[in-house]
Amino acid sequence: MNTTPDEELLALWVDDALEGTTAAEVEAWAASRPEWLERREQARQVGPLLRAGLPAVEEPPYAEFFNARIARELARESGAGAVAPSFGAPGRFRRWFLPATAVAGMMLCFWAGTRISPAPVVVAPDPVAAPPAPYLYTPEKGVKAAYFASQPAEAMVIVLDGVAAIPDSFEIPDTASVVREPDAATAEIDTAAP
Amino acid sequence: MNIFQRLASNGLLGPAESGGAAAGTPGDAPQEEDEALVLRAQAGDMRAYDELVTRHRGRIYAMIRNMVKNETDAWDLAQEAFIKAWQALPRFEAKARFSTWLYRIAHNAVYDHARRRRPEGGGEINDEIFNRDRIDPAAVALPSEARSPDDSMVGDELREKIEAALDKLSPEHREAVILKDVQGLAYKEIAEVMHCSLGTVMSRLFYARQKLQSLLKDEYDAR
Repeated sequence: MNTTPDEELLALWVDDALEGTTAAEVEAWAASRPEWLERREQARQVGPLLRAGLPAVEEPPYAEFFNARIARELARESGAGAVAPSFGAPGRFRRWFLPATAVAGMMLCFWAGTRISPAPVVVAPDPVAAPPAPYLYTPEKGVKAAYFASQPAEAMVIVLDGVAAIPDSFEIPDTASVVREPDAATAEIDTAAP
Repeated sequence: MNIFQRLASNGLLGPAESGGAAAGTPGDAPQEEDEALVLRAQAGDMRAYDELVTRHRGRIYAMIRNMVKNETDAWDLAQEAFIKAWQALPRFEAKARFSTWLYRIAHNAVYDHARRRRPEGGGEINDEIFNRDRIDPAAVALPSEARSPDDSMVGDELREKIEAALDKLSPEHREAVILKDVQGLAYKEIAEVMHCSLGTVMSRLFYARQKLQSLLKDEYDAR
């Protein structure tokens, strides 16, 4: 080959990605060009070393949370009316109809409120609102989380099953502990000696 | 159950389909599967997009992590890339591979991040000023290490040396060599990701490899 191979061919040759007669032709052309032989040698040395030291695929830490956070952000944007493939811009009718209906509803309620005399108050037990199901995220694999809430006891308990035991040698850093002096109004309670 | 699945099960995101997100990589997964998922995602199916995120997050995170070196920044930037990809998804045409398109968005996110950081923020915490030795390697917050301790130590040493060498390259040279020699992209794809010509990619690779060859000479000799 007397003419210079095109860039694409040369790039493939440097990466040892050519085969057959094309490879032989470029090889013959490069034989008298030490700078190209050097390029191929560099590729042969640097490529495998980088592949050995740096991962091409590396899962982000807490991969499940990674997806969940993206989803939450997209859901938030969709809720804010951002452009998203699934939620197109509302039609002109819907854009005007909803606010107009809301205003009319408010006026109707106001008018009805001025006409209706107050009814005797009937004491009824508060409806028990179903608490939203908590979403417990556990970064460590193998850890199961359970959530218990007791309204009568006014207590919440989160159980993390599978977390490694805290060693006895673990000391809470000073910065994490806050010592509070009792207020002057705080009553002192004497506990009976056992 | 992640938030995609919960929203889908609530009927907010369209019909739920069977089958979880397939773990894997774009290199392993046929391109046709990506194309089908992209079509579904463009139609508003967020479960399909969740699957795309799962399939590509490993490569995108690795590429960004190799560019910025800071795990936290890489995590945030990879997220930013996927969020921007979702916003731009209606404009995506199947002229390029989805993975190449994602790399391009990740490239823009990394360069925007570098531009934002250039004027050093007064009083802002810079993670890089902290010595890595102060971080407890046994801290529970770190992801668990699947390799044996010996393999892990040797691998980490090599990685540190390579990262130190890459740090001496310009961002353009570093990215070219990462995309080619680590991520395995074709020259044309790198040109597309980096918005430059094929000749420029070749030239950047030549200089990057030349410098790395001299910086990592001890590693070649040891092998």
